[in-house]
Amino acid sequence: MVKFLIRRLGLMVVILFLVSIIVFSLVHLTPGDPARMILGQEATEESLHALREQMGLNDPLYVQYFSWVTNVLQGDLGNSLKDNTPVLTVLLQKLPVTIQLSIMSFVIAMLIAIPAGIISATRKGTFWDYFGTTFALSGVSVPPFFLGILLIFVFSISLGWVAPSGYVEPWKDFKQSMLLMILPAIAVGIRLSAEITRMLRSSMLEVLEADYIRTAYAKGVLERGVVIGHALKNALIPVVTVSGLQLATFLGGAVITETIFAIPGIGRLVIDAILTRDFPVVQGAVLFMAIAVVVVNFFIDVLYSILDPRIKLTGGQ
Amino acid sequence: MSKKGKVFAAVFMSLLLLLTGCNNSNSSSSEGGKSATATAPAKTDNTELVVGLDDDPPQLDPHFSTAAVDRQVFHSIYDKLVDVDEELNFVPMLAEKWDISEDGKTYTFTLQKGVKFHDGTPFNAEAVKFNFERMMDPNAGSPRASELSSIEKIEVVDETTLKVVLSEPYSPFLAALSDRAGMMVSPKAVQEKGKDFANSPVGTGPFKFVSRVKQDKIEVEKNADYWNGAPKFEKIVYRPYSDENVRLTNLTSGDVDIISKVPPKDVEKLKNDSNLTLSETGALGFQGLYLNHKSEPFNNKALRQALDLVIDREAIIKVALRDTGVQAAGAIPPGTWAYDDSIKPTKKDVEKAKKIMAEAGYPDGFEFTLQLSPKPVEEQISQMIQSMAAEAGIKVKLEIVEFGTMLDNMDNYKFDAVRLGWSGRTDPDGNIYALFHTDGSINYGYSNPEMDELLEQARVETDQKERKKIYSKATELGQEEVPFIFIYHEKDYKAFKNNLQGYKHISDQMMRFHDVSFK
Repeated sequence: MVKFLIRRLGLMVVILFLVSIIVFSLVHLTPGDPARMILGQEATEESLHALREQMGLNDPLYVQYFSWVTNVLQGDLGNSLKDNTPVLTVLLQKLPVTIQLSIMSFVIAMLIAIPAGIISATRKGTFWDYFGTTFALSGVSVPPFFLGILLIFVFSISLGWVAPSGYVEPWKDFKQSMLLMILPAIAVGIRLSAEITRMLRSSMLEVLEADYIRTAYAKGVLERGVVIGHALKNALIPVVTVSGLQLATFLGGAVITETIFAIPGIGRLVIDAILTRDFPVVQGAVLFMAIAVVVVNFFIDVLYSILDPRIKLTGGQ
Repeated sequence: MSKKGKVFAAVFMSLLLLLTGCNNSNSSSSEGGKSATATAPAKTDNTELVVGLDDDPPQLDPHFSTAAVDRQVFHSIYDKLVDVDEELNFVPMLAEKWDISEDGKTYTFTLQKGVKFHDGTPFNAEAVKFNFERMMDPNAGSPRASELSSIEKIEVVDETTLKVVLSEPYSPFLAALSDRAGMMVSPKAVQEKGKDFANSPVGTGPFKFVSRVKQDKIEVEKNADYWNGAPKFEKIVYRPYSDENVRLTNLTSGDVDIISKVPPKDVEKLKNDSNLTLSETGALGFQGLYLNHKSEPFNNKALRQALDLVIDREAIIKVALRDTGVQAAGAIPPGTWAYDDSIKPTKKDVEKAKKIMAEAGYPDGFEFTLQLSPKPVEEQISQMIQSMAAEAGIKVKLEIVEFGTMLDNMDNYKFDAVRLGWSGRTDPDGNIYALFHTDGSINYGYSNPEMDELLEQARVETDQKERKKIYSKATELGQEEVPFIFIYHEKDYKAFKNNLQGYKHISDQMMRFHDVSFK
């Protein structure tokens, strides 16, 4: 177990280091001048130069990179070029929002997908199966932004049940916070639920053909016991992979959904930062996302070994 | 399940999806007639105003702000030395009255008495001096420095009297003081907070800053001790919605009370909406095509003139803008004192364009690349220009470029033409000098000594009627020289709930809420 941990940590460091170089280069080599974005269309060449000097942008790239990395290793992600707020503060402000959206989307996805997947598999060939698979196909095909607009139209404009957009912290007004997040969570979650349904269905079908399932039936276990107690656990393994990866990407923020529903999450922060060439924010946010993906993957691997004792963490299988 | 059942289920599902899809797209256009939008307004607190902005203000310190949207919030938190009324005349604000010397160089301001900043410190002549010096400090890098560059000396005469001496007459001076350069911040707050001032700004305005969450909201509350009488609202919440459709949706659902910047395609619909009021007024800017005068083809005057002549401005305004603009003949918009309506926008004349090109040695036309922003309206306008130009043999290649990259290209003169405009300033100098003068901040290589002289003259001329004559000459010269292709002046729209009263719509596009309340 310890060997596994050390190896994974080492890998994490290498990955994050590579990510930092890539992100830094891409961001700085993109055309566009942050000084110009800050000072506006009418700024003079002198004021632009002075501001660039102040922001350290006139130094050679490798100098800027090393200065950034050394600060990051000390926990300082730098300050936003726009208004000097520490990047870490901004990220921490946006993080709970994105986490809330990610968790709610994930939960909604699972609430839909697991029953749908099981039913589709166990009632294969029936109306429920076709209903489930058609739903899955549409869910994967419909773009989240369209779904978002559709949900707003139906539930906010026509029915008036919830406000179309906005955000309230859950600790300030839990009910309102949930209400405002429901539609965006559905918009983001449906796609994942569709993917999981398909995945779970085929995975379950495969598992249900196995010998040990027939044995369980023969032993007199009821259908529900067979399905949930035996088949599901094994069918879930590929599902866990996909879900985990998706959760990691959720943590990167759902840009379009956040825009449509006016949610101040990380996605919008990053897009805004890219468009205004706010380098420290982009670098900090992407680094954070990379960390999120790596950490979530680590936990997926640990979860595997729990779900299937045959899978050893050190790679025997 | 039977085969028939399977087929039925599949077809049923797809129909359902199709129907909802179609319904969605139809509804946005069929609201023409008697639409009353939405159901119950979600907001019921009448002491609070929710404002939908078109973007998240990046900077709350007026001396370092450059984005137009910042100014919306400033008008609640800060006062200016002078303000403008609906006719764009200068009216007193923090300066009760002012006196300008004969030679136009000395301004004596008498300030309002008994005004306090939100932190309790007094507003006085010393404070004004502090503010000016802060903006003019060469090490501070304030974008306001160039607006106040003609100030030579600032003299505090007494608590409420300040004398400002300019190095030479500068007619746009009061205009500068009616905007960010005239906004007064608390010296004590600046000294205590330094760079952090923007995160907890302190002014003298009708509302005090409470808090902000980036990209989510900015909250301000009533300043009960406001020198001009307390405002009616207890609180204002500014919410940024960068997507115009999202902004509008929140207004129609009742969650937002007033929005600025209504998308042109929704203007007609809003006019017919019985729950909302749409207010329209002229704005101060101009829109068209920036040209690169440092390289081909637009270093050639004949080719610029030719392009100017193929554009059908009326059609563009009707089709792409749905009549939310007026044709432009120059940098000065209608509704302002310097506007000369005897100067007509260039009329489309393909034959004349062909003739000019032939005489200049381009009988088969020429080609160039037009860069534009990835917005639907921009694409429409550019495509129309492309097909109009083709009639005269001018081949236009369209290139969609992200805004930051576009600005970068312009800075480095890596463009032929760019579809962009200018938001405009209260004084005509802020539009025309910046564009036409060799030193102009939005001039890309155009230089004409005759034009320079006219514009410099207009800066020092103190008689408004004389200034107008000079600007007319400059505009006519501009029509001949075509430093910029003028297409239209935007109109400004604000949309708000019917029960909002007291709102005055002013052409500088700024929302002022001191006298506004719900019925």
